[in-house]
Amino acid sequence: MGLLQEAIFGIVTGSYIAIAAIGFTLIYGIVNMINFAYGEYLTLGAFVGFLAASAIPLPLPVAVVVAMIGGGVISIVLARGFFTPINHTGPVPMLLTSIGLGIAIRNAIRLFGGRSARYIETETTTFRFDAVPDVPIGSVDLLGGFFVTSEHLVVVGSAVAVFLAIHALLTRTDVGIAMRAMGDDESLARVRGIDTQLIRDSVWVLAGVLAGLAGVLMAIQTNVSSTTGFSHILQILSAAILGGAGSPYGAIIGAYVIGLALALSTAFLPSSMTGLSSAVAFAILIVVLLVKPSGIAGTEVREA
Amino acid sequence: MSALDRLPSGRGDRALIAGVACLLVGGLFALTPLQANLPSALYVFVEVGITFVIYGMLVLGLDLQYGHTGLVNFGHVVFFAVGAYATAMLSAADPFAGIGLGYPWPLGLLVGVIAAALLGLVVSATSIRLRDDFLAIVTLATAEIFHSIFVNFEGVFGGNVGILGVPRPIAGLVGDADTRLIATILVLGGLTLITLAAVTRLTDAPYGRVLRAIRADELVTRSVGKSTIVYKTQAFVYGAALAGLAGGLFALYNGAVAPGFFTIQVTVTIWIGMLLGGAANHRAVLAGLAIIMGLRLVSRFGLSVTPVPGDVFAALRLVVVGLILIAVIRFRPAGIWGDPQELGVDQ
Repeated sequence: MGLLQEAIFGIVTGSYIAIAAIGFTLIYGIVNMINFAYGEYLTLGAFVGFLAASAIPLPLPVAVVVAMIGGGVISIVLARGFFTPINHTGPVPMLLTSIGLGIAIRNAIRLFGGRSARYIETETTTFRFDAVPDVPIGSVDLLGGFFVTSEHLVVVGSAVAVFLAIHALLTRTDVGIAMRAMGDDESLARVRGIDTQLIRDSVWVLAGVLAGLAGVLMAIQTNVSSTTGFSHILQILSAAILGGAGSPYGAIIGAYVIGLALALSTAFLPSSMTGLSSAVAFAILIVVLLVKPSGIAGTEVREA
Repeated sequence: MSALDRLPSGRGDRALIAGVACLLVGGLFALTPLQANLPSALYVFVEVGITFVIYGMLVLGLDLQYGHTGLVNFGHVVFFAVGAYATAMLSAADPFAGIGLGYPWPLGLLVGVIAAALLGLVVSATSIRLRDDFLAIVTLATAEIFHSIFVNFEGVFGGNVGILGVPRPIAGLVGDADTRLIATILVLGGLTLITLAAVTRLTDAPYGRVLRAIRADELVTRSVGKSTIVYKTQAFVYGAALAGLAGGLFALYNGAVAPGFFTIQVTVTIWIGMLLGGAANHRAVLAGLAIIMGLRLVSRFGLSVTPVPGDVFAALRLVVVGLILIAVIRFRPAGIWGDPQELGVDQ
């Protein structure tokens, strides 16, 4: 397979990682916690979408909306139940709680859903482009023919729509401007009369909606099982930190870097070692933290 | 009278004496024809007990890092795994898959400890300046990277099969299963008690006060002239080396290593044990670990009396484990035997 094809896979992967990474980074920037259970929000959203599309069954676009609403509800309920009560204790107890919550949710899904993967039935159209010449470099084709499916287009299109919506929210609406103010300086925001608890709740809902969307897109693109979200959490985290933790725009850049790095490393690694491609994302994460802890778009160096 | 009073007392010396005594009795079983008889109903207790004393070494090292110094290491299993793999690769004679060099096991164990300590040094050199939760993420990511390396480099690490044929020194000396189990738990338990004595000495000394001062307020500690980075690095490396020792001993007890023994579940178990017992208190973290591993025993018996399949039961157990972690942080942030004032948490 040519590099061009791998790059397309990378952009598709980067798109749903980006949607999730925006939600993750908003929680980090405004609630000031690393939510390690966020991957499980994706899984839950994907299962809500799966049930809506397969069990009821609703038309796919409606099922996607149901998954987004489900994600938002799940996120605010979990936040109110587990995170808001310990908000004052600092980042480490919050992180540990999210790790515990992630384990509990992941295995609760396994308990009810088993370990097998589920598929959302879709009608896929494939667009082939075979005319591009192959220029082999060693065992890897430079360029080469490629294909794009309608699902790829839906994922990338949704991601672009999300980017525009988030940009509009953060720059044009009172809630978004209040979120940015809180991200900069919470006590100053409170002094200026911002209802910080309300904004925090809005962030939880928004992050849940984004997780629901990312999860259901993942389910459409591949499949959904109890470990869907967990297997992506370190990629989401890497994208958010690479972009500069707390910065939604950075998270988008970071996600595409991670997505392309994952896909292109698959092309160059021997087929017996494709499992190592996940290590690539973590290696990027560690290198970024060492070289530029503030990330690509971050301004503040977060040191102890 | 607090619950703490009922834990074995002494400031480390008693642990040392008890540890040496365990080693001697264990050695007696291993080296002489003396035999022990163990009712078969107790096998499972001894097996979990052996895992407990090995994890005990892990939790003591982790507590040195987190409880005393405030370093949030959420990838502790990687040092355990590196110690185990290094020991196994050096000492295995016929590894089936991967590398086995067949050197004497004491050399393997030594290299295992050094390898884990070196990895600890690398991780701390690069990441110890990061904010707490970022250090947690880096250590966790390090553990995940190594896990996928162990799985993917089959020619070196044996892939999912791991490395078989690791020498088992105690099993090599003792023929019958009962005596072997007793000798193993005594020897490994003795080593854990000696570790307890050593870390107690270390943290009772002025050195330990500096570590706790760093946890309480790093800036103040630095301003009185202590190089906090050096102390933090040392604490991190000590913990890593202890985990490497535990890993090497695990490989020599188990006779094989495989990626399945070194998952994030190990990290989670020892973290829960430490938080449940009360960080910064060596005996408390061991007691906490005993409680959480007692749950493992209960669930083993539960599995045999309930009609549900093993997979469902395993999932259920992990749901409970996750909820325990959440509940401990929420309702007993200082742990059962911890000192809330000293740890700076509000109950």
